[in-house]
Amino acid sequence: MSSSPYRLPLGLPRIERDERGGALAGVAAGIARSLGVDATLVRLTFALLAFAGGAGVAAYAGAWLALPTEESSEPSQRRRVLGLVLLVVAGALALRGLGLSDTLIWPALLCGAGIVLTRRPPYGVLGLILVALGVGIFLLTNGGDGERSIVQPSAVAIALLLVLGPWAWRLAVERDAERTARIRSEERAEMAARIHDSVLQTLALVQRESRDPRRVAALARRQERELRRWLYPDARAEGASLASALDAAAAEVEELHGVPVELVRTGDLPLDERVESLVLASREAMANAAEHSGADEVSVFAEVRDDEIAVYVRDRGSGFDPDATTPDSHGIGDSIRGRMARAGGTASLASSADGTEVELRLRRPS
Amino acid sequence: MSRRRVVLVDDHHLFRSGVRTELGDAVEIVGEAGSIAEAVPLIRELDPDVVLLDVHLPDGGGHAVIAQVAPERPGVRFLALSVSDAAEDVIDVIRAGARGYVTKTISGAELVDAIERTADGDAVFSPRLAGFVLDAFRSGEAAADPELDTLTAREREVLQLIARGYRYKEIAARLHLSVKTVESHVSAVLRKLQLSSRHELTRWAAERRLI
Repeated sequence: MSSSPYRLPLGLPRIERDERGGALAGVAAGIARSLGVDATLVRLTFALLAFAGGAGVAAYAGAWLALPTEESSEPSQRRRVLGLVLLVVAGALALRGLGLSDTLIWPALLCGAGIVLTRRPPYGVLGLILVALGVGIFLLTNGGDGERSIVQPSAVAIALLLVLGPWAWRLAVERDAERTARIRSEERAEMAARIHDSVLQTLALVQRESRDPRRVAALARRQERELRRWLYPDARAEGASLASALDAAAAEVEELHGVPVELVRTGDLPLDERVESLVLASREAMANAAEHSGADEVSVFAEVRDDEIAVYVRDRGSGFDPDATTPDSHGIGDSIRGRMARAGGTASLASSADGTEVELRLRRPS
Repeated sequence: MSRRRVVLVDDHHLFRSGVRTELGDAVEIVGEAGSIAEAVPLIRELDPDVVLLDVHLPDGGGHAVIAQVAPERPGVRFLALSVSDAAEDVIDVIRAGARGYVTKTISGAELVDAIERTADGDAVFSPRLAGFVLDAFRSGEAAADPELDTLTAREREVLQLIARGYRYKEIAARLHLSVKTVESHVSAVLRKLQLSSRHELTRWAAERRLI
């Protein structure tokens, strides 16, 4: 239907007469619906045009003949041709109403009819002849008249615009649609790749390890973490920072030991050697809690304060007597205390039957 | 004590039936809804003690449910329940009037406890929410309204302990306070969060590219 002359090249829906919704023959109502405006506006336009030598009446009659109704099929060829002729006459009357002289209007009409015909394959040659005729008449009648000669180039330009305008418009619309489609398909491809690499892999692993609930839970947690990072990218977690390093450490421990690590953090700052030591000590504390405490979850809270950074690693496990253990048995010795001391910070540990908490503090680098 | 009447609002059917199973007989689930459109008339009709409210619903944020129901049913209390990590969504629900926020990984017993506390009008802060709130009230800039825009040292201390994974009872013991006092500190923080127009909430949101 894209070649239908009733279809405007603006992406508007087909214009149909709206017999039920209309006042007379439903022409105004149909046009209004297609354009998305109020029918009264269209009726008013017809009425105003009627003052231009009856152009509105001719246009209305033409549209009534040429437009299809919603229910019936296309109007007959004869009705359509007659309707088009009436519309053309209406156009001519309207142009006369604007004050254009006959010597301009009739050639323009011939050109217009010719242009329409060139777009309909069997009448293409006839159309070209009409265009030539129109231009010829125009040149003959206006030739030699110095005042009018200004009109000639603009008339030719308008004719060109009429021919090329719709074509250029359609080209732009198509290119736009194509670009949108391409972007969408690229997005879909990226999404598919992401899901394939992450969710589908995890689901496969879950099926294989379905007999080990801890492992399944750890896989699910890791997947959740990854998806979340993708869905809600945290502005602060980009690049090498305390927050992103702690995230990574918590994920590693969780994966290695199969115990969920619940990490809460506020504030962030860039990584340097000392902050990195703090992260490594925190990681060690998390690993200890996950491995030895028997708790089913490790809570980590990291806070960047005005003057220092504090990290708390807490479990609700069995607890132990810090004095009774050998310095290395829980990794408290060198990997936590020693590391923190070398970085200029402190590590302390409190343990009871309710669980264990390691507290790490580091003065902020100035 | 009579069982609490609870309405469950979550668009995931599987999750709802999971919560139902986990809660067992501890509370009475009187209704379930999967969207804002379903939830609003249901809550108005049932007038439950507590609504467990998902932060994300298919037709919008959970805060819309609170905004539409709360004026007519001031007795209904809301507890946000979500997997969402997006701080702005959580803060939205809290500012709309939810009494707290817990993550979906919470255990059944803890959830029952959280429902009881919500029904009693207490604030329920998970470690994650405590982290969000500490972030929102970061010190450093002058406050426009010192009463609402800053946390007291004690409130900060309580929030830090919640973020570290301590329960109210443990916090009370640690700070030599009664549990009731700890609860009132947390409620005060909740009130500040809901009433403060602190520009730092804005700054904090801007840092996260939320606005």
